[in-house]
Amino acid sequence: MATMAQSAAGSLDPIIRIDGLQKYYGAFHALKNINLDVHKGERIVVCGPSGSGKSTMIRCINRIEQFEAGSILVDGISLGESMKNVNAVRAEVGMVFQQFNLFPHLTVLQNCMLAPMRVRGTSKKDAEVVAMKYLERVRIPDQAAKYPAQLSGGQQQRVAIARALCMTPKIMLFDEPTSALDPEMVKEVLDTMIGLAQEGMTMLCVTHEMGFARQVADRVIFMDAGEIIEMAKPEEFFSQPKNERTRNFLGQILNH
Amino acid sequence: MIRDFGLLEVLTILQGMWTTLALSAVAFVGGGIFGTLVALSRTSAWTWLRITSAAYIDFFQGTPLLMQLFLVYFGLPVFGFHVSAWTAVAIGLTFHASAFLGEIWRGGIQAVPRGQSEAASALGLGYIDRMRDVVLPQAIKLSFAPTVGFLVQLVKGTSLAAIIGFVELSRSAQIVASTTYKPLIAYGLAGACYFAICFPLSRVSAYYERRFAPKT
Repeated sequence: MATMAQSAAGSLDPIIRIDGLQKYYGAFHALKNINLDVHKGERIVVCGPSGSGKSTMIRCINRIEQFEAGSILVDGISLGESMKNVNAVRAEVGMVFQQFNLFPHLTVLQNCMLAPMRVRGTSKKDAEVVAMKYLERVRIPDQAAKYPAQLSGGQQQRVAIARALCMTPKIMLFDEPTSALDPEMVKEVLDTMIGLAQEGMTMLCVTHEMGFARQVADRVIFMDAGEIIEMAKPEEFFSQPKNERTRNFLGQILNH
Repeated sequence: MIRDFGLLEVLTILQGMWTTLALSAVAFVGGGIFGTLVALSRTSAWTWLRITSAAYIDFFQGTPLLMQLFLVYFGLPVFGFHVSAWTAVAIGLTFHASAFLGEIWRGGIQAVPRGQSEAASALGLGYIDRMRDVVLPQAIKLSFAPTVGFLVQLVKGTSLAAIIGFVELSRSAQIVASTTYKPLIAYGLAGACYFAICFPLSRVSAYYERRFAPKT
């Protein structure tokens, strides 16, 4: 699998290296010995049934979720116990959540300006310029003065993407970004994500949007019961899935 | 009867009302500062800090305010701190208010959806930024009505300071009652003064409860 990853990117050191990752919720073994290398510029889609550990896995990458064993190296920084390392990694890794998680008491513009000002020490003026740049990027600059509650779900999720981009992250994590959206709003969010992928952003997306996976993914990962069951290029993954569980899962989500 | 009930008596009671207001304000501000620390300790990631602050809250919620005032008033001199009744009462009420406000605000902090601090963390914001810019502004809105409600309790609670000889509204009414032999008028006037402070606060509390009701 390592050779395939290298061919997709070119640089030799992976930007994310997950090694022997184990995660427990009490007695429940949520992640069982996960190993994964992601190279710069790679687009990876993670799918699997609910409770399979896919969200938990990507939430470990910026340590929103603690883990019990194994190691994660992000851009050469180890996610150990040191909070300094954790915050350094978080500043370089953007995350988009299923429930948007915009800050409801701040305007769209303030949502985008907060982290650059607090974490990077950017001046208010510069933070505003950067925020407007990315709000234009997600085609929503005219909503800058509004509060999140005044926007549609699709607009909120695009703001959430812009908010993450304002930190100019090296990696973007998407945790089911379209699952909470009304069907007619899914496309505007996926289009934004496709645009990002085309610009060469390193992306890990947990999603059930298989059309998106076919179109942009370098690799598709199938997880079940806390394990990576199958990992392949999308053309292989969809036409010749090797594992029985992958076939069952694809059968359930593709044929209806 | 030593004196008639005249302007001087009314002024004495109004003076007492002023002292009650000042005492309430000091206790509220002091309690607010320490209460924030208590609330942050109660929601801390460190178990020992959560347990210690829970014990602190339990103590002040489980004992009468009067006992707490006695403990401070008679306890401080034992440790060599000879303080005035005013200082003792202010310290006692500050402890009391910090425990209750801490518990109210803990509830507010925990009512802010987890995703909010997760999103702030994911952006690289540290604990202080996360609390100051994201969690507390939302928690304060959620706790606003019960906070003002507690302030009303606190204003009325200051009347217990009369028992350790501190001259506030209740104590000045008592003095006036005993010099004029007109307890009904003296205490009636004092009651009206408490009402004049507390009733508007209750209305404010009710107003913000409606205004900040969760919108979905």
